[in-house]
Amino acid sequence: MGEIVLELKDASIFQKESLVLSEVSLKIEKGEFVYLIGKTGSGKSSFMKTLYGDLPLQKGEGHIVEFDLKTLKEKDIPFLRRKLGIVFQDFKLLPDRNINQNMLFVLKATGWTDKAKMDTQVLNVLEKVGMKTKGFKFPHELSGGEQQRIAIARALLNDPELIIADEPTGNLDPQTSVEVMKVLQEINKSGRTILMATHDYALILKYPAKTIKCDANKVFEVVQRAV
Amino acid sequence: MANSFENYQRRKLISSYFSVVLSIALVLFLLGILGLLVLNTKKLADRSKEQITISVFLKENTKEIEVEQLQKTLAMSEYTKSSTYVSKEEAAKQHSEDIGEDFVDYLGYNPLKNSIDVKLKADFVTAEKVEEIAATLAEKSFVDEVSYDRVLVSMVAKSVEQIGFWILVASAIFTFIAVLLINSSIRLSIYSKRFIIKTMQMVGATKTFIRRPFIWQNIKLGMIGAAIALLAIAGVVYYLNTNFQDFGLFDEPYILIILFVSVFLLGILISFISTYFATQRFLNLRTDELYY
Ligand SMILES: Nc1ncnc2c1ncn2[C@@H]1O[C@H](COP(=O)(O)OP(=O)(O)OP(=O)(O)O)[C@@H](O)[C@H]1O
Ligand SMILES: [Mg+2]
Repeated sequence: MGEIVLELKDASIFQKESLVLSEVSLKIEKGEFVYLIGKTGSGKSSFMKTLYGDLPLQKGEGHIVEFDLKTLKEKDIPFLRRKLGIVFQDFKLLPDRNINQNMLFVLKATGWTDKAKMDTQVLNVLEKVGMKTKGFKFPHELSGGEQQRIAIARALLNDPELIIADEPTGNLDPQTSVEVMKVLQEINKSGRTILMATHDYALILKYPAKTIKCDANKVFEVVQRAV
Repeated sequence: MANSFENYQRRKLISSYFSVVLSIALVLFLLGILGLLVLNTKKLADRSKEQITISVFLKENTKEIEVEQLQKTLAMSEYTKSSTYVSKEEAAKQHSEDIGEDFVDYLGYNPLKNSIDVKLKADFVTAEKVEEIAATLAEKSFVDEVSYDRVLVSMVAKSVEQIGFWILVASAIFTFIAVLLINSSIRLSIYSKRFIIKTMQMVGATKTFIRRPFIWQNIKLGMIGAAIALLAIAGVVYYLNTNFQDFGLFDEPYILIILFVSVFLLGILISFISTYFATQRFLNLRTDELYY
């Protein structure tokens, strides 16, 4: 048995007072690659938001990396997020600075101090997503797909134990999707755990892995063929 | 191109900085002038208080040594500003000049008494304290009578108290408005960055880390605003000093220095506190709440 990175027991996910998902029980072990699928509005993003502390876990139990979601204090949230690499569905790049500064902000905010090391790390992750030459651009000067790749690069900066990616290929053409997928696969091979929400069934077929589905307010594992 | 966007951003920033700097400068200028007023009402009031004289009339047969002793005691008391011995001849001369008639000649003798005129330090000119001092002096065996203008003393003390009170009230209201004004313009400049602040939290930055550059930025603006205010106050002081020399604004230069330093520190303090609370507000909001 591997180490458990993420475990939910009978958890409920709320948006305000409205229940989005209930009786969520789920275990993800270190090194796993897990797809999260489900119709639009079925609660994938809400589920992920609960995992990184943007929505409170109001009912049930939840453990992620070494944090307890039920007793998570506000001041611990930044430290939880540092353990995770989060790719947001809406990217969440800082619009007031260019890509390099976006990356440097994250590094500085998470305790890096050595300028040379930071620069190397930024180039390093930008190269992984094929955006090495775009560092001087502002977010709004990039296409949607390019911004998405930057968002992925940013999630890799701190070499996180668990990557939570909300539709990281949502805005990419099939070929670029596959390239991004290769990057994620590679990271997964190096021992990192990945939870990825997606609508791209072609990708799932090409890179089969454990798949869980949100439907009718429930979360359950699906057998590959039944997708 | 990146360049024109950066320029545009810079212009936008500068205009929001401008309103912060301006409100800080304006408010600190008003506070500084008010401070100047407070310091100088005290000075003017003290000056009029220190004009008040207690006359200690001595008995005819008082020995010179006793007079000297009394003068020494007075000189050593903390309440004395100055004390002068006035012989009855001098007093008669002064009085004759005042009424324009030589009453000693007319009466054939001098009805006045030798006296010591005591001027008090401003802090001791209140009805109770003067009363007390007069009573102690009157106890001496060779003292005939102690007299002073009771009405004047209580009037001066009371009106100074009243003016001081109203100036304090005005200062308090001003400071309150000042903080509100500065607070709202700082809050506006931070409000425009609320989504950026939220995104920073999303990528694992702590509140302190996010807040630091905002605070530093606004402290810099506070310092610029304070500097502008101080220049303006210095202009006013210079003008008053050249046109109304007898205000004696430069009599105690350290008071002016303290005033200037306080205005400067106040600028920093207010911008620090406002920024702290304004950022705190947006840091504590949940993502959803930013849209309202
Ligand atoms: N901020 C919010 N406040 C209230 N309700 C919300 C909020 N965000 C989402 N919801 C609701 O919660 C439900 C789940 O939304 P969620 O964003 O998790 O869906 P999703 O599965 O990620 O969809 P998509 O595939 O389109 O990204 C939806 O019915 C949505 O209307
Ligand atoms: Mg979603």
